[in-house]
Amino acid sequence: PAQALRGRGPRNAGPTLGARLFAARSRFQGLNAVAEEAVPQAAKPEAVGSAGPQEPVLRRCELPVPAPRRPVQAWVESLRGYEQERVGLAELHPEVFSTAPRLDILHQVAIWQRNFKRISYAKTKTRAEVQGGGRKPWPQKGSGRSRHGSIRSPIWRGGGIAHGPRGPTSYYYMLPMKVRVQGLKVALTVKLAQDDLHIVDSLELPTSDPQYLTELARYRHWGDSVLLVDLAYENMPQNIVAATTGLKTFNLIPAVGLNVYSMLKHQTLVLTLQTLAFLEEKLLWHDSRYTPLYPFRLPYRDFP
Amino acid sequence: MAALSASGVTRRGLAWVVLGAPRREFWSRFRKEKKPLVPETVEEVKEKPILVCPPLRSRTYIPPEDLQSRVESCVREIFGSSVPSSWQDVSLEDGHLKFGLLSRLADDLGHAVPNSRLHQMCRVRDVLDFYNVPIHDRSKFDELIASNLPPNLKITWGY
Repeated sequence: PAQALRGRGPRNAGPTLGARLFAARSRFQGLNAVAEEAVPQAAKPEAVGSAGPQEPVLRRCELPVPAPRRPVQAWVESLRGYEQERVGLAELHPEVFSTAPRLDILHQVAIWQRNFKRISYAKTKTRAEVQGGGRKPWPQKGSGRSRHGSIRSPIWRGGGIAHGPRGPTSYYYMLPMKVRVQGLKVALTVKLAQDDLHIVDSLELPTSDPQYLTELARYRHWGDSVLLVDLAYENMPQNIVAATTGLKTFNLIPAVGLNVYSMLKHQTLVLTLQTLAFLEEKLLWHDSRYTPLYPFRLPYRDFP
Repeated sequence: MAALSASGVTRRGLAWVVLGAPRREFWSRFRKEKKPLVPETVEEVKEKPILVCPPLRSRTYIPPEDLQSRVESCVREIFGSSVPSSWQDVSLEDGHLKFGLLSRLADDLGHAVPNSRLHQMCRVRDVLDFYNVPIHDRSKFDELIASNLPPNLKITWGY
């Protein structure tokens, strides 16, 4: 069982990154061929309502599922028609979509995302930096007034600030990579558990009208804000790009842009099947990896 | 310079006078050809199917009286005739059968199993238990208002 869990590591002489991605893509071309056959049928006006019984799009988990746990499931929907809500059934890996609901990790990661980019530029002048105030205003004794050394001390009006913000301060800190990965897994789990996750075969729309997308979301009770996730920036369908650029609450991001803050900000999350495979592979690799001997930004042979 | 420009202008003027009428006819032919093209493209755009949103559904679900017989008939349709008398214990391991049964029941009853509970549907008995539970779309406040309250408790919804 331990060997089944430990999928890969830096020492495994497995296939290279490119070969694995190609294999995953070809497997999905097999699945998407079924969905793509449906597209020209749905484009004809007479076949919109009567799609007929088609092969369901069934998706299995590629990565091994540890023995006592069983995959979680979700409907595969389609954006091509209002009524196409149950096109297939997808199996989701339990380690990603059914982990412990660690709300503390979600909080940590969301606060980190807000703060690590923050640089506050607030700066005030101290008594040394305020112009003037080098001379003792009146002699120490004899004038009857209280004793002072300079007119720019903090107790004076117009004086410097004693403990104010000092210069650009950076709030940069990094959480461990595994904590950030766990945060993503917990966020996906929470979205699925609260019925806010929808799997779609692909993000192809029949029109580029933003109103179609809003009405679809309204009909399917998705919520006010929807986060659509495609696999890569290059191959996004034109219709969905045009529809989402016009809308404020419907946002389209590539899979590498998925983050906990956006998932919590939007009410619904919509993933494609390719994105699902990508996320599962990337997030599960960290469960069974060796500690890095050199930073991951330098090339590794089997980095996913 | 001035002489050259003057000659150029006069030449152009003569050319304009000479070719004025035939040039107008020349361009008018192109203009006439362009006009009939425009309404054709407009008609092609209108021929595309207009997608109409179906009426919004409410999330209320009340289990029908004959739920058990409906589920049994769906099970017999999907699984074929090889279903034992204990049809409630039939397992839904196979993806095709599970999808077929659940989508048929969802279309039939207008209420689908949500994603979070799909993995709990292992046997037909679980599906039956799920569909036996009624679902109301009312908020908690509406339920409280509708229920029997003691006379000294008032609920006001001030928004």
